[in-house]
Amino acid sequence: MSPAHFSIIEKVILAGLTLVALGSFSYEVLRRVFIVQKGLGSFPFDRFGERLFRVFREVLLHEKVIRERPFPGLMHALVFWGFLVFGLVTIDHFSIGFYKPIMSESVHHAYSKIVIPFAVFVIFGILSLAYRRFINRPKALGKISPTSGLVAVFIVVLMVTYIYGETDLSPFVWKINWWIHSILILAFLFLIPRSKHLHLVLAPFNIFFRSFQQPDHTPVHIDLEGDEDELDTMLNDLTKMTKNQALDIFSCVECGRCTDVCPANRGGGILDPKYHFIMDLRDPVLEGRDVAVLDQINVDAGWECTTCQACTEVCPVGNHVEKSDEIRRLEVLVEGRVPQEYQKLFTNLQETGNTEGASSSPFADSFPVFTPDKDYVLWLGCFARHGLDPNFNKSVENFTKILDVAGMTYGVLADEQCSGDPANRLGDKLTYTMLREHNMEQLSETKKVVTLCPHCAVNLGKEYGKYGTINYTVEHHTQVIGRLIDEGKIKVQMGESGKVTYHDPCNLSRMLDIVDEPRKAIQAASSNFQEMEESGRDTLCCGAGGALWWKKETQGRTHLVRAEQVIESEADTVVTGCNFCYGMMKQGLSPMTPEGREDVVVKDVADMVADNLI
Amino acid sequence: MDILVILEDNRGSLHRMSKEAIAGAQKMGGSISALAIGSNADALAEELSGVDLVEVITVSHDLVSSYNADGYSEVVKQVIESESPQTIVIGHSYQTRDFMPRVSAKLDIPFIPDIISMDDGIVKQVLNAKLNASCSTSAEQMILSFQSAAFSDEDMASGSCTSRTFDSNLDSATVRAESEEPFQEAAGDVDLEAAELLVSIGRGIEKEENIQIAFDLAKALGAEVSASRPVVDSGWVEPFRQVGSSGQNVSPKLYFSLGISGAIQHVVGMKGSKNILAINKDPDAPIFEIADYAVVGDVLEIVPKLIEALHN
Amino acid sequence: MKIAVLVKQVPGSETALPILGNHSWIDEQQVSFVMNPPDNFAIEEALLIKERTGDGEVVIVSMGPARAQKVIREGLAKGADRGIHLEEEGQIQTDPLSIAKSFTSILKDENFDLVLTGLQSDDTGMGQTGVLIGEMLGMSTGTLAMETDVQDNTIRVKRELESGWFQWVRLPLPASISIQSGLNTPRYPSLRGIMGAKKKEIKVVSPSDHQTGSISQSIEKVFVPQASKQTEVIEGDADAAVMRIVEILKSDIKVL
Repeated sequence: MSPAHFSIIEKVILAGLTLVALGSFSYEVLRRVFIVQKGLGSFPFDRFGERLFRVFREVLLHEKVIRERPFPGLMHALVFWGFLVFGLVTIDHFSIGFYKPIMSESVHHAYSKIVIPFAVFVIFGILSLAYRRFINRPKALGKISPTSGLVAVFIVVLMVTYIYGETDLSPFVWKINWWIHSILILAFLFLIPRSKHLHLVLAPFNIFFRSFQQPDHTPVHIDLEGDEDELDTMLNDLTKMTKNQALDIFSCVECGRCTDVCPANRGGGILDPKYHFIMDLRDPVLEGRDVAVLDQINVDAGWECTTCQACTEVCPVGNHVEKSDEIRRLEVLVEGRVPQEYQKLFTNLQETGNTEGASSSPFADSFPVFTPDKDYVLWLGCFARHGLDPNFNKSVENFTKILDVAGMTYGVLADEQCSGDPANRLGDKLTYTMLREHNMEQLSETKKVVTLCPHCAVNLGKEYGKYGTINYTVEHHTQVIGRLIDEGKIKVQMGESGKVTYHDPCNLSRMLDIVDEPRKAIQAASSNFQEMEESGRDTLCCGAGGALWWKKETQGRTHLVRAEQVIESEADTVVTGCNFCYGMMKQGLSPMTPEGREDVVVKDVADMVADNLI
Repeated sequence: MDILVILEDNRGSLHRMSKEAIAGAQKMGGSISALAIGSNADALAEELSGVDLVEVITVSHDLVSSYNADGYSEVVKQVIESESPQTIVIGHSYQTRDFMPRVSAKLDIPFIPDIISMDDGIVKQVLNAKLNASCSTSAEQMILSFQSAAFSDEDMASGSCTSRTFDSNLDSATVRAESEEPFQEAAGDVDLEAAELLVSIGRGIEKEENIQIAFDLAKALGAEVSASRPVVDSGWVEPFRQVGSSGQNVSPKLYFSLGISGAIQHVVGMKGSKNILAINKDPDAPIFEIADYAVVGDVLEIVPKLIEALHN
Repeated sequence: MKIAVLVKQVPGSETALPILGNHSWIDEQQVSFVMNPPDNFAIEEALLIKERTGDGEVVIVSMGPARAQKVIREGLAKGADRGIHLEEEGQIQTDPLSIAKSFTSILKDENFDLVLTGLQSDDTGMGQTGVLIGEMLGMSTGTLAMETDVQDNTIRVKRELESGWFQWVRLPLPASISIQSGLNTPRYPSLRGIMGAKKKEIKVVSPSDHQTGSISQSIEKVFVPQASKQTEVIEGDADAAVMRIVEILKSDIKVL
């Protein structure tokens, strides 16, 4: 192929079109960047290497894209890798138009041997995806999107024109083909920032900047004795998104994975994270050109969220999808609109420091009081203290039995109040502040805390840390048990009969990243352990998260969806590591058990180990 | 007179609580008269012609032909002033709450309400019925109202009594309310917490098809239907019927549980019920620990027969 | 439109109730207190009426020891304009007439258009205060209101009657109305409301300025009800059981 000749007029036209396309692209991108810049806080650059590595895995290797939807994910990966390979090709392509090619003929020829197969992959990939989107029409993708159709056509034609251009063509035909290819690319540039395809540009950044901790909501500092103007500013700022949240809105690819995994949605509720937490905010943000849009989130949907972070975990472009914290705190702190059952809950927490309004806890009194010479503060949590499911109290006792056997000492705090998780997750940051400040004082002499409740662990260990320095470490009891087994301080025999499975609590697996230790403990006691579907960090929430344990009117059957999966696993025993999951399993399994089948036994990890201690 | 019992007109006939009040007064002893007000006063007096009372005083002034607080309280005041009863007794109904305190204020006579027993002093419930209180008064006269079923209308002693009219002095300016006709509302979402009688369904009902017998029983008793969580979760009844820690908290006069085992999450929502009648196949069901009446049997067998018996 | 809402601070429903040594009442030192739950509906109704009529003043009035100011503040945080605290010392008053006279002495000079109360208090449960005050102030009275409708100088009230019956009554203002629980959805105090409440006025009236000294009834002692939970077990065949059940329903529980 001899170098083509472009007349001056052609070059001027090309320059003109390119400038318009680049200009339009830049304008739309900058417009959005400008809005993102208005967001609160700043983009994080800490743990730089880890962030870069994460981009490598999730962008280059397409880890999350493939994981939840393997086949479409792989198809998308083909298209993506094709794009990467085409980078050089495109630069070369335009260079030919303006001046001369970058690659020499031999390089061009050699490179095309790589590119052409990729072009075929891309065509295969994009046609599979188009088939899925337009013929299969999965619910998660929503309405037919004309833009997606256009993009599919563009990509196919681009690949075809490339391949065609590598064949032996007359100069005239080659030129026509070249122009088609160029105009499509410029049209693409025009389309990208105005559609979800902006993720091409934004996703790598969004993934880079994503928090390492989930959930990651801005702390709400309240000082009742403080300046009233400061309080006013703080309340006004509650409607504003952070920079990360704003970037999320523009990065969303509308794939619907978040909705697919949402337990509230799957239980028949109205919550649809894709729309309620992300898409609904897009127009307000663009129209208002500002980030103060959090009050636009659908309130009813917001109350249904279990805060389990499945949506955040699954998002392939790094969005922190869940925004129940944001809308709930607006409803509570600014509007004073709180469902009645939660008003009672808040009053109980304020008046008595626990969720039940109880004046004492005989259960707590049955344990030794903590003194600084003891190894651990045994943090009980309201669930155990006030017998929200009295059967679980036995599990707590089983854990202390394990500690006794291992020779570890422990005591309960004399004045333990609710860790504040329900107040925190429901948006009552004022009550949360009261409880947190009280508990921080109680824990001032403490070095090590162990608790059976992951919700308590998340708050004591991570959330409290957002408001001030914490001087103690928090461990979940499964971590302690795991370590005691490793250190040989307790010996467990495989005495468990029947098939055993494990339900990962969302607070434990996703928020605390504790997945292996419970399994280590279970597999020390049982030789017949089998994973459930959606386990580990992909776990399906039991339905009690987000303080929904206390919600009276259950519109959906969120708490039964996971119970159904337990039944389907045909396990004889389901083990869990959270008191709420324990309670939910106990309530949810019996209605779901088919007639004639034995009820599935529910155990905590502590029960499984204590029952099989040597 | 010793005791004046104020009667209530329940759409033309004597309100059950008025009969209970008479029985209570009779138990207290002394000379007892009754007061009937309104357009049906004579009919009420007629109903009591065979009861052991001194007499029934009737007032049928135009301004009190139907109930209103202004008129009734003024009439009662005048009768009390004229007859000087030592004790004024009445059933603690919604109507009593509406006008009797007016009488108390007009005459500065203390009103001890919602009494559950007169056996050992004047006893009423306090602190959400968690404790009982023994009350007393230093005044010469007192007004007492009795809680529903503190006494039994069946204990009204028979005898005979006459009636006489009382001319009350009522000024049209006294009666300020414009009352419309009472009406019933279409059943919407039921407020279980307000229901007096509940028939509650548990897993012992076994299948969705059997739910209807619970509703039929409820209808026969004039009760509302509630359920335990598993029944709601199975989708057999609406969520608002759920009783328990994550449902409604109820304390009806009668909690009639059908096939409910008595799991703690359920019990915390109904243990305040005044009477618990439980049917369950399992003699060791935890519900029997808090039940007043424990029927060990099959719900599916007993309930249809019970419905039939109630219809006879 | 000037509305007074009478509220009371009572022991929480979940709290244990230790009885004093002399059995005269419970030991309030060991108890946690809350706003009387029915009063929440009265406060909400007052705020709604104020919002509907467009102008007006909602005043929270409460009688109790110093700790009662907390519930007055709660009402202010929800949106009421000011509060009046009738101070009590020592044990709480339990005589409705005496309590009503105290309130009346303070309310009469304010010329309220409406006095709203909850249906009864969760501690003594006398359920008379609103009506007594109404009579003492010469107001028209209504109870168990499921709906209110203020029009011109009257208030239409939907009274709840027994067994699912209701009745609308129109009363001239001023009126004293007791509010039935459940007629509205009480709001929660917003943070701004809580902050603002600190600056709103609570007028404190000392005991000598409102107590009349005349007590006509009192609570002599409180005691735990005899748990006569003797379970009667009914076994046998279905027919026998059914007969016994009918008897129980008729004669023992008396619901037939």
